[in-house]
Amino acid sequence: MATQEEQIEGFGHVSRTVGTVFRYLLLAATLFGIVALTILLIYVANDAIQPLTADPGWHLTFFLTLVLPTLVVSGYLFRTDPTSFRFGAGVVGMLAVSSMFGGGAAMIFVDIVPPVVWFSYVLAFGLALAGVVGLERLDRQLPFLVRFVGAGAWVVLSFGLVPGLVQSLPVYPTDGVMLTLSLGGPVALVVGRYAAAKAGRRGTAVAILVALVAVGAGEVLGPLLAIGAVPATVLLAVAVVPTAGYAVGHIRRFPGRRPGLALAATILGGALVGAVAVAALGFAGPQSWVDWQFLTSAHSGTAAEAGLYPAIGGSILLMVTVAALSFPLGVGAAVYLEEYAPDNRLTRFIDVNISNLAGVPSVVYGLLGLGVFVTYLGQPTGTVLIGGATLALLILPIVIISAREALRSVPDSMREASYGMGATRWQTIKNVVLPRAFPGILTGTILALGRAIGETAPLIMIGAPNVLFSLPTALSSKVSAMPLQVYAWASLFASEPFYQAAVPAGVVVLLIVLLSMNSIAIVLRNKYQTDQ
Amino acid sequence: MSTDDLQRDLTRRTENAPQELLTRSFFFLCAVLSIVTTVSIILMLTTEAAKFFSITAPLMGVEGPTASVVDFLTGTKWIINNEQFGVLPLVSATLAITIGSAVVALPLGVATAIYLSEYATPRAQRVLKPALEVLAGVPTVVYGFFAVVYITPALRTVIPGLGTFNMLSASIVVGIMIIPMVASISEDAMSAVPDSLRQAGYGMGATKFDVSVGIVVPASLSGIFSSFILALSRAIGETMAVTVAAGSQANLLNPLNPAAYLEGALPMTAAMVNLLTGDVTGGGIAYRSLFAIGLTLFVITLIMNVISDLVAQRYREEY
Repeated sequence: MATQEEQIEGFGHVSRTVGTVFRYLLLAATLFGIVALTILLIYVANDAIQPLTADPGWHLTFFLTLVLPTLVVSGYLFRTDPTSFRFGAGVVGMLAVSSMFGGGAAMIFVDIVPPVVWFSYVLAFGLALAGVVGLERLDRQLPFLVRFVGAGAWVVLSFGLVPGLVQSLPVYPTDGVMLTLSLGGPVALVVGRYAAAKAGRRGTAVAILVALVAVGAGEVLGPLLAIGAVPATVLLAVAVVPTAGYAVGHIRRFPGRRPGLALAATILGGALVGAVAVAALGFAGPQSWVDWQFLTSAHSGTAAEAGLYPAIGGSILLMVTVAALSFPLGVGAAVYLEEYAPDNRLTRFIDVNISNLAGVPSVVYGLLGLGVFVTYLGQPTGTVLIGGATLALLILPIVIISAREALRSVPDSMREASYGMGATRWQTIKNVVLPRAFPGILTGTILALGRAIGETAPLIMIGAPNVLFSLPTALSSKVSAMPLQVYAWASLFASEPFYQAAVPAGVVVLLIVLLSMNSIAIVLRNKYQTDQ
Repeated sequence: MSTDDLQRDLTRRTENAPQELLTRSFFFLCAVLSIVTTVSIILMLTTEAAKFFSITAPLMGVEGPTASVVDFLTGTKWIINNEQFGVLPLVSATLAITIGSAVVALPLGVATAIYLSEYATPRAQRVLKPALEVLAGVPTVVYGFFAVVYITPALRTVIPGLGTFNMLSASIVVGIMIIPMVASISEDAMSAVPDSLRQAGYGMGATKFDVSVGIVVPASLSGIFSSFILALSRAIGETMAVTVAAGSQANLLNPLNPAAYLEGALPMTAAMVNLLTGDVTGGGIAYRSLFAIGLTLFVITLIMNVISDLVAQRYREEY
């Protein structure tokens, strides 16, 4: 009885200290990795670019022309008009990233694929596409198999005959003109349509024409700027025209965001004025290891003269191969698993199998490439083709998993609506599901490609050479890659000069490429998520 | 068009129309490719490894030097030129990397997961999550370079006896690399804990600390464990960072002895890369030893992945 009469003396004390300490410990743990990586990145960027070796006057000039105005304008815009700020920053970011990829593309046209070859294949592709579409339009009553065989024959015919025919012509237009037509044409079509916004047929036609002429200006501008007609045309087609088209189209759609252009103008103008002023005043810039010479020359025994050119070209070719292989296969597998697969043992097995493949170490994929492609299929070691195929197998599970997620996010009601209209399954997938899931699929694929670009071990396994002095020119030539070159410098040529010069520079280039790919994916994902 | 035609058109079964069949079979083939990949990995590793071991080599019709299974699994020396293929030094180094990176990554990863799922505002999440993804996105060869050039000299100011190539900095970078994996899978598990459980906790007068540690973490334990196993399997398979940072001396070391981390060793993956960057001619015993290590590695990581799957499925709390 006595116990029941005991009174409760309050609830005791709850200390806030424990909770607060815990919370900040968690935050510290979260930031640990990020801060550690940031410090390492600052160190490596400092080693590679050496900003402190520049004249104080150089820093001062750029601070006055670029940094200060940018800070003022962006600070003002950010407070008063955040959407315009984001638009302006987006334009500058797009120009920077696309110029980088434009540089890579220019490299392809200068050293790997001559413009005439590219032109002939684009022509063949255009003819094939026109033929197939024409056949579809012409007569829907023909049986499917007849149409399919006809279209197939037409495609084979045009790819078999046209490139050879065009390349054997005694005279053809200059490289700049061919690139303008074959690369600038498609770009101008897309960009012009976006830039014209709701301007009607005539406006769109004018916009497309303007874009095409702008790309064609590379033929004149290139020699003037001493970079050659081909790189200038490619840069215009890949970077400048799309960015300008985006800016114009966006302003036409959202006139209120015009102030954002002020930010873009400040940054670009400031950089230009700064560069001119520094040259005029004679201030020396930093003695950066990441310079034109580093980007355009091959490996050398002396660290200061070593360059990354063959490795950059190799990485680009590998990326193209990997994308061409893994995108259709990965998306195909994801479509089967999400849209077709019955819930049976085989499906569940494939499912488990894919998630296990995602956990297989990359060296083992390298062994797979070595064993299957080299030993059993008798391919030569270290070529673009087997390197790309091995890396494609490596990222296939990641592509499949992310594509499945994107497909799953398409609401079932949309599929049912399509079936309700009498569409077949393939029509539903083609017209409803895939377009809706496309941004998500693209994001996942870009992230996976980023993983493939950074992989070294599989390339070593399949016997890619550590040192390569020229760009690969075909699928069957030996390939190097940026991370492989960095590895070779860091381990096989391990010496102080390489550790201080070539390796940091290589790391910085590799990371810039990777981070810009990741940022494209993240921007795409954010845009896609807010749209839904 | 007569009614009969219309009737036929409207009730036509499209499932097996040529176009449908064609696309369906293409998609099916894509999905089956993953099985083909797995099968060829297993077949290739086992056949090539079988040629390596003396017990199975005659069955494969292989002449020339071979190694005995017992020597491979229990040998304490890995010297290729002497044809001494004892895998224990390599396994001990891999184990050391795994333990070392676990010490770094598991507590930090779980803490990150708790912070992201319980404390962080949506805005902080939007910044922190991509930043963490970047940690996992940096190429591993770059981490290896960081370990050798920046982390080792920094550690040497505290521990003077540290070698140029050592397990300590290799473990640290591998640990940093796998933090995002632990964090993201654990965070998924924690976010799946229903709010009603948290609210019940608050209703009983628990603080946020009590709720996080006493309710959310126990409720998502299976997910946390499965993230541990997956991340450790990734650490075991990690190649370039350890190849660059851990050195190439195949020392047998005791992974539980902290002093062992001060010197270099040769983990399995690094041994494979070293074999290939040296002059390995196709078909020789050194070449086949590559596949024997590969098989060991594949089996270990496969078992870990399967266990992780089982843990996540069997012990998952259904809400």
